[in-house]
Amino acid sequence: MPQDYPLILVNDVDYKYLNGTVALKKINLKIYKGELIGIMGKNGAGKTTLIRTFNGLIRPTNGNIYINGENIKSKTTGTLSRKVGIIFQNPEHQVFSNTVEEEIKYSLKSLNLSKQENQIKTNDILKKFNLDKYRERSPLNLSGGETKKLAVASIFCRDPDILVFDEPTLGQDAKEISFFIELIKSEMKIGKTIIIITHNIEFAMEYISRTILMADGKIIADGPTKKVITNEFLVKKSALILPQISQFNIALNDIGIPCPHNIYSKNEMTEFLAGYIKNKSKIVSGEGN
Amino acid sequence: MSLEFLNAFKFQKKNTFVHNLDPRAKLMFSIVYSISALMFTEIIPLFIIFLSLIPMILLGKMIKEWMRSIRGLSFLVLMIIVLNTFFISLGYAMAMIIRISIMITAFSIFFLTVHPNDLALSLISMKVPYPYAFSFSLAFRFVPTIANEAQNIMDAQQSRGYEMKTSGLINQIKNLFPLLVPLIICSIKRAFNVAEALESRAFGSVNERTYYYTIKYTFKDWLFTFYLICFFILTIYVRIQFGLMPEWLAWLAWEMVV
Repeated sequence: MPQDYPLILVNDVDYKYLNGTVALKKINLKIYKGELIGIMGKNGAGKTTLIRTFNGLIRPTNGNIYINGENIKSKTTGTLSRKVGIIFQNPEHQVFSNTVEEEIKYSLKSLNLSKQENQIKTNDILKKFNLDKYRERSPLNLSGGETKKLAVASIFCRDPDILVFDEPTLGQDAKEISFFIELIKSEMKIGKTIIIITHNIEFAMEYISRTILMADGKIIADGPTKKVITNEFLVKKSALILPQISQFNIALNDIGIPCPHNIYSKNEMTEFLAGYIKNKSKIVSGEGN
Repeated sequence: MSLEFLNAFKFQKKNTFVHNLDPRAKLMFSIVYSISALMFTEIIPLFIIFLSLIPMILLGKMIKEWMRSIRGLSFLVLMIIVLNTFFISLGYAMAMIIRISIMITAFSIFFLTVHPNDLALSLISMKVPYPYAFSFSLAFRFVPTIANEAQNIMDAQQSRGYEMKTSGLINQIKNLFPLLVPLIICSIKRAFNVAEALESRAFGSVNERTYYYTIKYTFKDWLFTFYLICFFILTIYVRIQFGLMPEWLAWLAWEMVV
């Protein structure tokens, strides 16, 4: 259950790039410990800019951000990266070491661990991410999915309280996505707060409980995912498409099948259709008699 | 640290006198001003050359962009002040700052007002073979892209505890590896992708190619070229006539600054 005070508090935050583009306009947001949050919106809506403010990569032009009740204004990115781990879209922007093992060790370097602790942590994380077999391999020779895994592992090993993913499902196959989902579930169990930027509406619908919708640097909706991303007006404004289940729902209503609007999952839809067919067949057999 | 200032060298489409000038005339402008700046080490002539650039900035409606390019290089300016003041004099440091500002401004005006395609066309008209001209314009076009990529790499590394500031020269060099290795690898990969994309669009299949757009040296370009020639002759004359600038000229300027 979320605690009373927010883990991340964003207060009236504006951000203007040097070229004059206003990327964030009066953003107010509260994120509680243990939440799983999705940030959605069209390209250029300000999603990535917003998450970059969480660990001080960019500083708000106006407003304040509090992490665990502390204003991050005077904190360095190095300090904040221990609390907020951001996994960016392109894993190739991270890898540079000679081996996979060294890549993980580089991430642990700034934590000032002993040599032994460092090795134990590296072994654990390599095992957890099934990268153990590639330990001696160059990160540049890994496949796209494995490089992504390595990039995630290099943030996970630092054990931050808040994990932020920028488009984690982009370019991933089904197996890689399911590995990522299991990873999120296990982190949620140990009380981590997870923020995911995604355009994958089906993924959000199935796994994310709260969604923040952004457009033109503003938050235009914040609430339960199922309600937010099935709202035709909001979805259109964010250049997204309705989830397949909602599209199917609309199609059923169009042909005269009165499908309730609060059906959000495959199971609910199957249940409704089974009941509907059963009722229909009863009526038909009644008419026949 | 932000690399956003590199965007100040990115072409911006506007309809102004400077934008409408022929790219060759603007290339000549940048070269003439840079050479003129290199000819002097005294504050007053450098300051006059600098002042003569201001109308170009105003005519090109690019004050903001120009300010950004200058501001982005403030670190370099600081280094010039510190090193020159320490080893030579403050007056010399001021002259060097004006000199570098002239060169940055001249090339900033060029890059801000010349479309990469026009740059390629102007090189071709100077008999540079098309593949080389195209490569040059492509490199020029990719500067902001590489700047963005470098910024993303920096963000990604900082998110896992990379510290920008380290003490000691060797540590500082070592500290560049997490930024340079991914940047070089991503750039090489992009170069291969661009090469494949070009080949799949039949790049280089015909030796003699035609151009949809052409550039033409008009009356205003000739007028501008005439001005540049006069300006260049004048700077050479001043340089030769005065030889070494009298000491008081540099000092007078320094007194004015103080």
